Amino acid sequence: MSGAIAHVVDDDAAIRDSLEWLLKSRGVAVRSWVSGEAFLDGLSATPRGCVILDIRMEGMSGIEVFDQLLARGFGLPVIFLTGHGEVQMAVGALKRGAFDFVEKPFNDNQLVDRVLEALRRDEVVHHERETEASVAARLARLSPREREVMDRVLAGEANKAIADALDIAVRTVEAHRARVFEKMEVHSAVELARLVGRRS
Amino acid sequence: MSSLLPLSFRPTNFGRPADPRDWQWYAPRAAVGLFVLALVGLLWVLHRQELEENHAAVIRDILWVEQSIRFSLDRDVEQLRQLGQEAPAGRDPRQLEVTVKHLLLNSPGLLEVALLNEHGVATASAPVPMTPGGRSWLGLDSEADYRLATVTGKAVYSAPTRSMEEEQFAVFVPYYRQGVLAGTVVGIYGLKAMLANLVPWWLAKKHRVTIQDSAGNLLAAKSNVEARGAPDLTHQVALDPPGHGLLLHVESYGSESRLLRYSLTATIVVLACILLWNLRLLRRHVQRRLATEQELRAEHAFRKSMEDSLHTGMRAVNMNGVIVYVNPAFCRMVGYTESELIGHAAPQVYWPPEERNHIEEVLRVARADGSSGKEIELKLMRGDGERFDALIYDSPLIDADGKQIGWMGSLLDITERKRARERVRQQEQKLAATARLVTMGEMASAIAHELNQPLSAIASYATGCLNVLQAGGASAAEFRDALEKTAQQAQRAGRIIRRVHEFVRKSEPVRTDVHINTVVQEVVSFAEAEARTRRVKIHSQLSTDDPELKADPLLLQEVLLNLLRNGMDAMAATPVEERELKVITERAGQTVTVTVRDRGCGLSPEVQAQLFDPFFTTKPEGMGMGLHICRSIMEVHRGRVWAEPNPGGGSAFSFCLPMAS
Repeated sequence: MSGAIAHVVDDDAAIRDSLEWLLKSRGVAVRSWVSGEAFLDGLSATPRGCVILDIRMEGMSGIEVFDQLLARGFGLPVIFLTGHGEVQMAVGALKRGAFDFVEKPFNDNQLVDRVLEALRRDEVVHHERETEASVAARLARLSPREREVMDRVLAGEANKAIADALDIAVRTVEAHRARVFEKMEVHSAVELARLVGRRS
Repeated sequence: MSSLLPLSFRPTNFGRPADPRDWQWYAPRAAVGLFVLALVGLLWVLHRQELEENHAAVIRDILWVEQSIRFSLDRDVEQLRQLGQEAPAGRDPRQLEVTVKHLLLNSPGLLEVALLNEHGVATASAPVPMTPGGRSWLGLDSEADYRLATVTGKAVYSAPTRSMEEEQFAVFVPYYRQGVLAGTVVGIYGLKAMLANLVPWWLAKKHRVTIQDSAGNLLAAKSNVEARGAPDLTHQVALDPPGHGLLLHVESYGSESRLLRYSLTATIVVLACILLWNLRLLRRHVQRRLATEQELRAEHAFRKSMEDSLHTGMRAVNMNGVIVYVNPAFCRMVGYTESELIGHAAPQVYWPPEERNHIEEVLRVARADGSSGKEIELKLMRGDGERFDALIYDSPLIDADGKQIGWMGSLLDITERKRARERVRQQEQKLAATARLVTMGEMASAIAHELNQPLSAIASYATGCLNVLQAGGASAAEFRDALEKTAQQAQRAGRIIRRVHEFVRKSEPVRTDVHINTVVQEVVSFAEAEARTRRVKIHSQLSTDDPELKADPLLLQEVLLNLLRNGMDAMAATPVEERELKVITERAGQTVTVTVRDRGCGLSPEVQAQLFDPFFTTKPEGMGMGLHICRSIMEVHRGRVWAEPNPGGGSAFSFCLPMAS
């Protein structure tokens, strides 16, 4: 779980400190924030990990912080801590993509379990994003003609058919195809299809 | 009264109704006119007939007179001739005188008789003896008559001449012996005497009989009284003999019946006028009457429509409580028809059986007071048995003589109004309860949140410690830090609890000396209003020595009120006549016990077990705090509260308190 960090956002120092102690006892890296504003300000451009957000806070409420995260396009999983009478709000947030909510007083190890799950999901999401980014970068290197040839290869056309359709020599098609494989860092059409097809 | 009427209700044709039945008035007038005309006509005809009859009578009478004169004269002529024949010349004048006297007695109007010889020389006369040979009394104009008589041998009458204040005429009667004129007897007649003797009294009474000459000069008259009769009641005939244009004239005096007739006619006319006048008066009277009736009818119709359109029910009863009048609104209200209600005595059909005594009592009290317009609220019953609340204003019914003849009541159906009021009250109560709940909820939420923080922290520290222990390899210093923080959070939770406690302690009871009976009386009187609405009777049975305690009277009232309300709630399904709450205060040693007994549904064992738990309730809108608070209050006062079944059904709630020591 390298780079996985749990952001604890709560205005109550005791909660922050105790959660830090608890999470660390299960080997989770923790970073505490005294308020929603401090958390949003201190976030990196590509934040990682998960967020434990108290719903009732001085200043920005947990829901408002969640809205800000959504607006900035950060896909961090968020776990809400709710008190008496706040379940309704938490359910609303859940529908808009929050990871989970835990009612206070909570069963602490269950909370930690949910944090771990959230971190795992972040990991997966992050990996996917990275793959996506590299495919996009490779696709950007293709020339228009190479792109055309690749699309037809992905459609399952034979070299002869591609040559006829594009009105070029079969040999030329083969050359393009080799360059596509090279630029996309794959060795076969099947590999190419897996890489590009997932994206679409 | 009529000034209250709108203009449209006033008869506009007062005094001169354009009545098509006017002919009814003209017919009697015409009849009276015709009647008078007929009477006058009849009178006139009668008058004419009478006149004719009178005329005929006059003629008859005059002819009779004329005839009797003629008879008399003719007889005289015979007697005079006989006298002449029987009187030889030279006879004793005395004998003649006797004969003449006898003749004069029987011959009316004959005044004097003279004997003339064949040469026309007077030889004797009677009753006045004459100078023999003298004939001076014979007027020149009678000379011709004498000659005529002697020539013709018939009696000839002379024209009348005036002598000695009297018109006289003579008759020359020649007489013969052996066919030779032997002489002439002259009879002198006085016209006046003749009339006087020949016209009988009964005739003279009716008529004025006169003798006139042809020129109309009056020569003699039976009476000097002038007749003023109508000209058609005169008649004249020629008087012949003696002739010479003498006329016998008769004038009727006219009868007294004429005056009678005139007065009769006048009476008839006057009576007819009076009749017409009376008719006119009668007509005006009837017209006024009709107009008044019209006005009355309009007034009546107006009042009727007013009564009928009223929404307020009206009913009048006489002094015996018998209904004498109801308006349609009242009938609609109670659901009986007018005929079903009028004539009915109390108890009325619209009094619910269970309210009869109460209504009678209330009415009796209100009426005994005598003041009018008293507001009485009663529960009444419709024809279909439905009960409704009515507001009655009952006031004495006074007749025109100022005597009270009954009671007039106006009724308003206030069921809806009452229901609405009750609904509003319930809503307010619910709202207040909700508000209390909301406040309590918010407070509870705030406390929960406050407590959640340290509790969560403590739990996290503890779990963290356990995790570390399980993994092993943590230092004692690390544990101490976490445990110290845990202890701090526990203290924090404790502080929150203390704060809540302090907040609650601010409403600690204020203990003063209170008399338990006073508290009960105050609460009962306060609860009476609600009890009346729920038709519950509250009976108090108070301890005679009125024990005194040290307590917060407001809190005690709160407890008792709570128990009373619970009792009323419990009896919601109990029949009305059994709904009774009994409040008992007792003293046993140094303990005062207050018990509230109801006749409600009672308590099941499960309910009784949880009765005083907070938030436990059997009522749909209850909070479940009432009895819990009661118990808290009792604990504060070192007393206690409990429930047990009521021996007579229902349940009994009691609380006991130590007395002030």
